[in-house]
Amino acid sequence: MEKQQSMAKQPPLPSLSLQEWEALLDDFGSGSPARCARWLPLPLLDLALNAFLRRDFASHLKPLLLLFIDDLLSSPTSAPPPSDSLPPLFDALRSLLLSSSPSASDPSPTPAAALLRDQFMTTAVSAAVSSLDAPLDASSAALLEPLVEALLTVANRPNHGPDRQSRAAACECLRELESGFPCLLADAAGHLWVLAQAERTHVAQSYLLLLATVVRDIVLRPGEPEGDQAGSGVPLGAAAGPDTGRHHGAGLDLDQHRWRAGAARADGRGAPEDAFAGEDERNIARRLALMAREAHQPLVFRLLALHWLLGSPRLGKGKDSLAPLAPRFYPGVFDPLALKAKKLDALACIAASLDTLEMRKKGEEDGRRALIVKLFQDGLVCISAYKWLPPWSTETSVAFRMLHKFLVGVIPHRDDCSEEPQLVFLMDSTIFSTLQSMLVNLALEHHGLVLVIGIFIDQLLKCKGHQSVGERLLQKLDEHLLPKLEMGYRLTSYFPIFERIAENDTIPPHGLLELLMRHIVSISVKHGPNSGLSLWSQGTKVLGICRMMLKHHHSSRIFLPLSRLLAFICQCFPDLEVRDNARIYLRMLVCIPGKKLRLVLNLGEQPTGVSPSPHPGSLFQVPSPRHSENIKMSGGVSSYIHLERVVPLLVKQSWSLVLPKSNMEDNTEASHVVGISDISISPSAESDKDGEMNFERISYIKEPLRVMDANVAEILGVLRKHFSCIPDYRHMSAIKIRIPCTLRFESEPFSHVWGDGSSTFGSEKGETLPAMYATTISFSSTAKYGKISPFRVPFLLGEPLRNRYDIVPAGNSFEEDSSHRASVNIELEPREPMPGLIDVAIKANAENGEVISGRLQSIAIGIEDMFLKASIPPDIEEDEVTGYYYDLFHALWEACGNSANTGRETFPLSGGKGAAAIHGTRSVKLLEVFLDSLIKNVEKHLASYVVSVIGDPLVNIVRNNGIIRDVVWENDAEAFVAHDVNALVPYSENLPLQLPYFDEQGDAENLSPVSKRTIGTFIILIFLPPRFHLLFQMEVGHSSTLVRIRTDHWPCLAYIDEYLESLFYT
Amino acid sequence: MPSSSPCSIRALWILSSQDNVAFSRRFPVVEKRWRLACARENERSESVSVQPLLPTDPELVSAFSERKRREGSAQGFGIRLAESTQGSDSWVDDPITRHIISLSIKREGSEEEFMLWPLVLHTKGSYYIIILPFVEPQQFKAYEKLCTRSDCGGSVGEEHSLSSLLYNLPCITGAIMVAHTVGDIITGDVVDPDVVISSSASVGGLLDSLTGSIGISARAKPVAASVAASSTSGASAVGAIAMDASKSTFRPIDKDALLTFLSSSMPFGTPLDLDFAHVSVIKANGFSSSDLPPAELKQPAWKPYLHKGKQRMLFMIHEMINAAMYDRDEIPDSISITGQVNCRADLEGLPDVSLPLSGLKNASMEIVSFHYCVQVSEHGDDKQALMFSPPLGNFVLMRYQALCGPDPPVKGFYQLSMVSEDEGAFLFKLQLMEGYRAPFSMDFCTVSMPFPRRRVLSFDGNPSTGTVSMTEHSLEWKIVTSGRGITGKSIEATFPGTIKFFPRTIQRGPSLPRSVSRNTVEEDTHSDAEQDTSNNTLNIEETLMEKMNKDLESVDLEEPFCWQAYNYAKVSFKIIGGTLSGMSIDPKAVSIYPALKAPVELSMQASSGEYILWNTLGKCPSTVSPKVY
Repeated sequence: MEKQQSMAKQPPLPSLSLQEWEALLDDFGSGSPARCARWLPLPLLDLALNAFLRRDFASHLKPLLLLFIDDLLSSPTSAPPPSDSLPPLFDALRSLLLSSSPSASDPSPTPAAALLRDQFMTTAVSAAVSSLDAPLDASSAALLEPLVEALLTVANRPNHGPDRQSRAAACECLRELESGFPCLLADAAGHLWVLAQAERTHVAQSYLLLLATVVRDIVLRPGEPEGDQAGSGVPLGAAAGPDTGRHHGAGLDLDQHRWRAGAARADGRGAPEDAFAGEDERNIARRLALMAREAHQPLVFRLLALHWLLGSPRLGKGKDSLAPLAPRFYPGVFDPLALKAKKLDALACIAASLDTLEMRKKGEEDGRRALIVKLFQDGLVCISAYKWLPPWSTETSVAFRMLHKFLVGVIPHRDDCSEEPQLVFLMDSTIFSTLQSMLVNLALEHHGLVLVIGIFIDQLLKCKGHQSVGERLLQKLDEHLLPKLEMGYRLTSYFPIFERIAENDTIPPHGLLELLMRHIVSISVKHGPNSGLSLWSQGTKVLGICRMMLKHHHSSRIFLPLSRLLAFICQCFPDLEVRDNARIYLRMLVCIPGKKLRLVLNLGEQPTGVSPSPHPGSLFQVPSPRHSENIKMSGGVSSYIHLERVVPLLVKQSWSLVLPKSNMEDNTEASHVVGISDISISPSAESDKDGEMNFERISYIKEPLRVMDANVAEILGVLRKHFSCIPDYRHMSAIKIRIPCTLRFESEPFSHVWGDGSSTFGSEKGETLPAMYATTISFSSTAKYGKISPFRVPFLLGEPLRNRYDIVPAGNSFEEDSSHRASVNIELEPREPMPGLIDVAIKANAENGEVISGRLQSIAIGIEDMFLKASIPPDIEEDEVTGYYYDLFHALWEACGNSANTGRETFPLSGGKGAAAIHGTRSVKLLEVFLDSLIKNVEKHLASYVVSVIGDPLVNIVRNNGIIRDVVWENDAEAFVAHDVNALVPYSENLPLQLPYFDEQGDAENLSPVSKRTIGTFIILIFLPPRFHLLFQMEVGHSSTLVRIRTDHWPCLAYIDEYLESLFYT
Repeated sequence: MPSSSPCSIRALWILSSQDNVAFSRRFPVVEKRWRLACARENERSESVSVQPLLPTDPELVSAFSERKRREGSAQGFGIRLAESTQGSDSWVDDPITRHIISLSIKREGSEEEFMLWPLVLHTKGSYYIIILPFVEPQQFKAYEKLCTRSDCGGSVGEEHSLSSLLYNLPCITGAIMVAHTVGDIITGDVVDPDVVISSSASVGGLLDSLTGSIGISARAKPVAASVAASSTSGASAVGAIAMDASKSTFRPIDKDALLTFLSSSMPFGTPLDLDFAHVSVIKANGFSSSDLPPAELKQPAWKPYLHKGKQRMLFMIHEMINAAMYDRDEIPDSISITGQVNCRADLEGLPDVSLPLSGLKNASMEIVSFHYCVQVSEHGDDKQALMFSPPLGNFVLMRYQALCGPDPPVKGFYQLSMVSEDEGAFLFKLQLMEGYRAPFSMDFCTVSMPFPRRRVLSFDGNPSTGTVSMTEHSLEWKIVTSGRGITGKSIEATFPGTIKFFPRTIQRGPSLPRSVSRNTVEEDTHSDAEQDTSNNTLNIEETLMEKMNKDLESVDLEEPFCWQAYNYAKVSFKIIGGTLSGMSIDPKAVSIYPALKAPVELSMQASSGEYILWNTLGKCPSTVSPKVY
């Protein structure tokens, strides 16, 4: 009453309605600052206190109001300063306590009202502790004083019947204050002692705890810094006095046995070592183990008990003390899987402790090993269902987790990285040997688990510390599993393991490749009539493995077996697509140097994922015959108008290598493909900027100084001269190549469509033939051929009709008749020497004025179309030409073979703006053709590119034939070969490729017999527009010829291989 | 001041299954302590700072649902699988991370993110109770390091393992206790232990004894029996995919009760007394001037009220038997008994009761826990004497385990053989109560054959005794029915028959993500394996099994194994008049100080927990039982 009057004297507060209060509490309850913001300008604390003290205020909101005050005053951001907030709060508390004081004549309050009052005390203390900082300064202490007084007053009535709960609450409040501000109650200690002695109701505990806290703080007081000291303070029990020990702890202890375990923990840490006799320790360990077996306990406690056992520094570290408990850690049938997993951890821990170095030294090998194996196997039984349950079952996860724990337990992860010597220790361990044979058997017997085994190994492979363990396991699988596998469709289940073996270059690939060979042979032979899809899938999977091998191994290592496998697949496998893909891989293996090959293969790679199905489509552009189909369907012109190459292609090109440039990782790799770099700060942001101008500008500007010998200087001189004749196609017209074609059309179908009956030419007679006027043929291509200008044919007569059954003479007589055939030249300006297709469109007028238009069959461009002779600088006289070519060949040969001297050099191109750099690549190709045939073919197709012929026998033959002329004839066959011992090198720069052409191991020594057998050598220099070169050095033998190839445009190797095959084998 | 008490709680949230915050509470005093500790820690170490932050309710909710999404369920994988991501709980690779979780909190309106750990997660009914206890910042950092390390998964022997971290965190235990109590309160599962005298209804709990003595009618008795309720339910989960929550129907939280409980039992965030019965009785009754304290002794904390009226002592021994019966030479049956002694002491004043136990060794008995009022005065291998000052009402005096009693009360075998994909022949041969003499009486005994993945079409066959009924997914054979129990005799029961199922349709429920995704496996095996089975000479049983297993769901880690993968029969029974372990109490040996005249009564019963007869002809899960304990 009194209080309310005093409040009324203050300036009137805005009051909130019940609804507003509800909204306010709701907003604050949500924790969203935005929603609270609108209330913050109000004097919230005063409003809340005012409302709380009102008797007519909704009673169900009062507890919430207290929580609100608590939150408000403890918020680090929005709380008012304590000097403003605490006094009104304490005033309110005092008035509340006074109004319900037992000395007042009121009857004792209802339990609910008493509860509310206790909660208010709590709120006040909570606000004080959270808003004032310890240690208290004078002003804060003064602030607190009324609160302490009020609480002591409440506590000061021991054994009073009705308000015992309030007294307990007051004690708890005081204890919290004492904890927050140590020694706050030091002066009252004596008084508290008396109270604690006197209290006999069940709340005596609160008095004792309060007293204990105060006493402890007094003990610790003298200038002790806060922190660790206080943390390991005197146990409550010890401070609480002898006569009070019996009942006080119950509430805190939560549960007796848990308390004991907790005590074990606390004492193990804080007390001197001998506080626990060994017996006690064993008892506690037993008890914890027992608790893990208590089915009525919540699972989390059972798990926690195991953790305590394993984590205790005394039990876990001195692991021996756990060993006797092993039987207690055996999982029970009805233990939840989580618990089984944790118990298996404990068994793993014990097994690991038996496998330590000391234990190994101790001897008793057999017994020790047997025990480890027994623990391991017994443990596995508990989750044995994983063997036949599906691989995604929880049992499987738990089982493999156990394998991991057992394995890794022997050498756990450590912070330092000195794992290596430790690994040997692990590989020697009983567990490792048990596990590896177990995995082999598991994989053999339960093919469904192979994938899981793979994932298990991956886990180790990804770990820095245990990578070599994973590798070792893979090696074991390679050694022991592979030979035992049976051929057949089941083998597919093992592909996850094969993939990992293929990926890992620590494992020799021969075993796997042989297995795959047998597999392919067996399914090629045994397949049934309806197994098409399955064959495809099997073949594709095998190719997937091959692809991985290509990616992860050095070509030299896999060359022989892999090429055999691929060769077999592309010849004998029943599925067409698989055969095709195998051919592509084989070609890649043979033609593309290893390092680049791996780069190429990596491009289409998904970041992760198990399915390694090869996607040649992303890498190879297979020109589709789509156009012609469309044309045929619409009865298109291509069925009777024909544009054909005059010289048919040797190779029916069906694919071309497409090199995505933008995402090349390695810039230098990328640039040599493109190869031209700008010299000046050329403003050449021109037409073909996209992708083709990825230049090494920096390397040019900051060219390092080098010492050059005369030889190198000479080579450079030759090269500079040569390159200065090559036009830079970006700034001037490029080198053109011409593809001569003929255009003709068939009269009958043409008239049928265009001529109609009104044709001026009668169809019966030879002279009445249809004609096309003002024909324009335009070309386009997806290949990089630059702009191809259209070709015009003013007039063309149709081919005379021919009886279908006419016998056409071999030398077709119409050929020469130019009125029936128009010759059409397609002129390309290749940006890159590559095969491709040229799409052809035609437009013409028919006699009746109708416009004929449509697409014709595409024209295939082969690599051989790109072959040109190198251009000759203007200052070279005619008789110097052979010598010039000879020098140029050698300069280029040197430059493409060894980039040490020329690699960083750039060669300005004609036009003065661009420059080229040479990045050479070498390759070899063995041609198994006889001498005559070889010479004949060279003379027929390559004669104009031959620069030199070396070696008497060969020179004699070729000279006699007289086809090859104007070349340098040399006699000393050895001279050139001898200084080129390194010729048989590498697809990769770092490792010698041991090409096994003549011998399994094909070493450098084996070269001499090669040259002995050689009859002579052709030296061939081919220029590939726009600025590349292809160099052959054919070491001609009687029955075989070794072609050493060098080029500064490695992608062309892919086509050259095919070209050479077509050239000499057909 | 650093934590001098074993457990302080910074905050508590209760989330509904729809991820709304049903209740939340923060404890500013503890939070202040955390802020101080963080400041100290950040001063001490310059490397990684600890953030003294608490999430708002919406922040917590979104972090929790994010975790649920990432970890497959609210509890998470618990062990490291292929899907596990670095920095998440399952990366730590320990099943306890299903109960002690971390959350990554995104601050609303900013990119800032901070981690919260340890959060004790307890799922009860349709609610998630999440409790954040106070730990030292170094401990928090230690966990943060654990769940982000980049190796292949921890091993148990490591220096900085989760185990050694948990060992130093007593607050976890306290927080779990709080979580469980709160869970019981919000779902209304606060049940007193059963005390049954003879065969009459059980005696009520604390409130009843109070209200009874003042003459108020007792409240309705909760139905569930406590012993059965706390056991892991295996068969009950059969047929239903064990998902988090959603097990019990929705019921709104009694916020008032919860608030009262929290403010009385942990006013500042530090639990003082978690006995909800006490809190609610005191709230309902309060104390009057007539409640005088005892003249000389101090009243223990667990006994706020003293008994007045008729005096008596009741003991009840309740045992539960779990059995896996194999009927195979290579696998021994596994039988275990867990038991508890429930007690009620209506005694005036504050007497001490002494109870000697003997014959422990014979029964291979191990006592696992006592009520906190018990003091064990002497104990040896075979003998144990308990001294306790009993609280008011029913309480569990002690719990124990026994390995082997006499012969199990139901023996025999169950065989089921599939003759085709949809038809099977089965045979039961059982022996009941063999060797159990007179006071033992079997109240009921039922055998059920669950077929959670097949729909039963029909069955054929007559049991030698009892009746058989059929449900959609099971057959139930009532051998002994309640009211016609058998006493002092043994019976033999056989049941040969055949069962037919509807043709199988593949039905897939939501599956938990597992280390091996089903799709990868199926894609791989589908086309190729089909070819194979035709020319493979597996027997029909195995072929069927393989087919069945294709759409088998993986179970939760809380299950002992994938029940659905097996054929078995589950036996339920209740035996009164004795215990299976041989454990007993001699009423005459019970003594009370100061001496009181109070009759002591004892009752005993045993019931089945998981009592499984595995199909002798099929696969079955088993474990190795070590010889020595």
